[in-house]
Amino acid sequence: MPISYFLVLSALLFSVGIYGVLARQNAVLVLLSIELMLNAANINLVAFSAFLQEAGVAGQVFALFVIAVAAAEVGIGLAIVILIFRNRQSVDVDEMSLMKW
Amino acid sequence: MAALAQEILFWALAVMMGIAAIGVVTSRNVVHAALYLVGTLMGAAALYILLLAEFVAWVQVLVYVGAIVVLMLFGLMLTRAPIGRANFDNDQRLMSALTALAVFGVTSYIMVRAFEGQTIDLTRETGTLTSSIGEVIFSTYVLPFEVVSVLLLAALVGAVVIARRD
Amino acid sequence: MQGALTSPVDWHAIAPELVLTAFACLVLVVDLFLAERAKWLAMPLSAIGVLATGAATLSLVGSERTTLSGSYEIDAFALLLKGLFCVIGFIVLAISFDYFRSGIRYQGEYYFLLLCSLLGGLVMSSARDLVTIFIAIELISVPGFIMTGLRKGDPKSNEASLKFFLFGVLSTAVMLYGMSLIYGLSGGATRLDRIREAIDGSGNEPLVMLSVFFVVVGFGFKISAVPFHFWAPDTYEGAPSPVAAFLSTASKIGGFVGLLVLMFKAFPEVADIWRPVFAVLATLTMTVGNLIALKQRHIIRLLAYSGIAQSGYILVALALIDPSSPGVSRQALESALVYIAIYAVMDLGAFAAAVAYARRGGTYFIDDYAGLWQRSPVLATLLTGFLLSLAGAPPMAGAWAKLFVFLATINAQVYWLAVVMGVNAVIAAWYYLAVVKRMFFEAPELEGPVEVPYFLRAVMGVAALALLVVFIYPPVITELAERSIL
Repeated sequence: MPISYFLVLSALLFSVGIYGVLARQNAVLVLLSIELMLNAANINLVAFSAFLQEAGVAGQVFALFVIAVAAAEVGIGLAIVILIFRNRQSVDVDEMSLMKW
Repeated sequence: MAALAQEILFWALAVMMGIAAIGVVTSRNVVHAALYLVGTLMGAAALYILLLAEFVAWVQVLVYVGAIVVLMLFGLMLTRAPIGRANFDNDQRLMSALTALAVFGVTSYIMVRAFEGQTIDLTRETGTLTSSIGEVIFSTYVLPFEVVSVLLLAALVGAVVIARRD
Repeated sequence: MQGALTSPVDWHAIAPELVLTAFACLVLVVDLFLAERAKWLAMPLSAIGVLATGAATLSLVGSERTTLSGSYEIDAFALLLKGLFCVIGFIVLAISFDYFRSGIRYQGEYYFLLLCSLLGGLVMSSARDLVTIFIAIELISVPGFIMTGLRKGDPKSNEASLKFFLFGVLSTAVMLYGMSLIYGLSGGATRLDRIREAIDGSGNEPLVMLSVFFVVVGFGFKISAVPFHFWAPDTYEGAPSPVAAFLSTASKIGGFVGLLVLMFKAFPEVADIWRPVFAVLATLTMTVGNLIALKQRHIIRLLAYSGIAQSGYILVALALIDPSSPGVSRQALESALVYIAIYAVMDLGAFAAAVAYARRGGTYFIDDYAGLWQRSPVLATLLTGFLLSLAGAPPMAGAWAKLFVFLATINAQVYWLAVVMGVNAVIAAWYYLAVVKRMFFEAPELEGPVEVPYFLRAVMGVAALALLVVFIYPPVITELAERSIL
């Protein structure tokens, strides 16, 4: 199967993620869009890894590291969201008027 | 025959993931958006199995779908974010769409040109063995592996500090 | 593969990292058993940890080691930066002590997170592998997200934290996409020297360009280069000020180290592609940073924008790299290292003075600096020293830092960039000197003496003295940099 199939799919997810980051207002929804972008990178890594067969184990290892880091980041992100919600009852990023966005 | 089946499977997954991804960024309901993300992530896991990367696929299901998305849904519940219909988009949708389209066009054009005619052989008997992943992690990448553990500890401590009620 | 598994780890080579990790965990555990009144003890413990890490780094001086099959290198470059990270860590601890002792809970956790982030810097200095670089940059930033939000009751701090987090994760995603492409185009290499070999023969220029583009955008956020700088001033203002000092030095320098290592070790052959990118980034970063700094009234925001402008000068060095003339490249890298080292000390000094003043009888507003000379001659003199250094004026080391980058630019015959630098140095002098003028020549509006704690005073004094010594005798730093290039 041509490797470009996977690469185009990953480019699609990446750019959909970019759209979400630019167009969404709610912090959690922006975070969801960024997850799409991280997954796009992972699809690339695993596709290249499969393409290289035995020589490509490192790509899968890299993908595993990415998943671990993403888990850490989401944990912190939600902690911050909860903190802000407790203080302000809203998590809209565009609404943050205290400082210029 | 197997090749045809794989091709059909890929296209089915790709269409599903594409629709789900667009659902993530356009849904007017936060919980629906999170569930659409589950669709994309599960599709990616299936894709990894298709690519004979079983271990990554199962980690994807366990950690990403099982932990990260559940965490997100918890976060949405705890913040009692507006679950019903609401306007979550700002007024830059057209510009955002054009930017995204440009990124997609340029990125996929360059990648397709660069890897023209290269194919992945998916008819191998066995995929990547989990044992070989383990060997690589604990030899070449043992240092980043240990550093990730510090990262996770810091994130854990930090999340508790930030989220707990004083 | 079996051989790799049993190959021994060079424990001495990673001693600084081990020591720092041990102390970070120790701080976390000890904090658990301290009474609320005694929580401040976490700071001396952390300081001892940073000093021990510095000692471990010194013990490696003179040795060239690689470990973990070449992906982790201990060379003069890595050691210089590790030493610098230890110095930064120590000064930030000194700034933090007074600030965190009163008013903010979670002191122990704060010092733990600070040490973790510092560990990321140490790992970054030695990382010669994509995966390690990625993990290192994450370890530098992730504790930063939390430290920024530690003033939990303050909505500004909350928002600073959220903004920093979202931009941080976004930059990670973009950088990672670039790295995944590098992995593919180099035929599955993650070690930088292998990537370099693979790229040399690939002839796949558009793809190289695309992947470098994504990676540079990702790092651009981390080093707050214009146009990826939006998060920085708000984050610095909202964060606890010592954390802002840390972010504008350690975190930024971590990004620069990653960028320098990647560009020098993996992509020197395709420098023609990315050199113009850095030239444009440098011009934008210097000019926009300085112009916006002109109208700032809040000292932390002023330092944030001035820090952005200072990044521009370091980016100039990256815009000069030319593999066809090794002399020019050497000089560019040397000047970048000198600039990074001097910038760290002078920026931290300015932050330390600002925090001390705001804590002890003053505010963060520049208007309230009026007449500081009459209220506290020591603090006014020290702050003047750091601001002069940041402005690139004698008699402080900052003058040499700017001059070396300038000379490297002339030597590389990129005259227009030299002109941009010159113009920017003049703009920058304006707003730094405005603060100095206010301190010395205006009547004070606030009353009372400014009691800076002795420890902080001593640390600031040593920092200012170091900048003075380097001005008088620059070989102290230049020879170190000369020996430490990649």
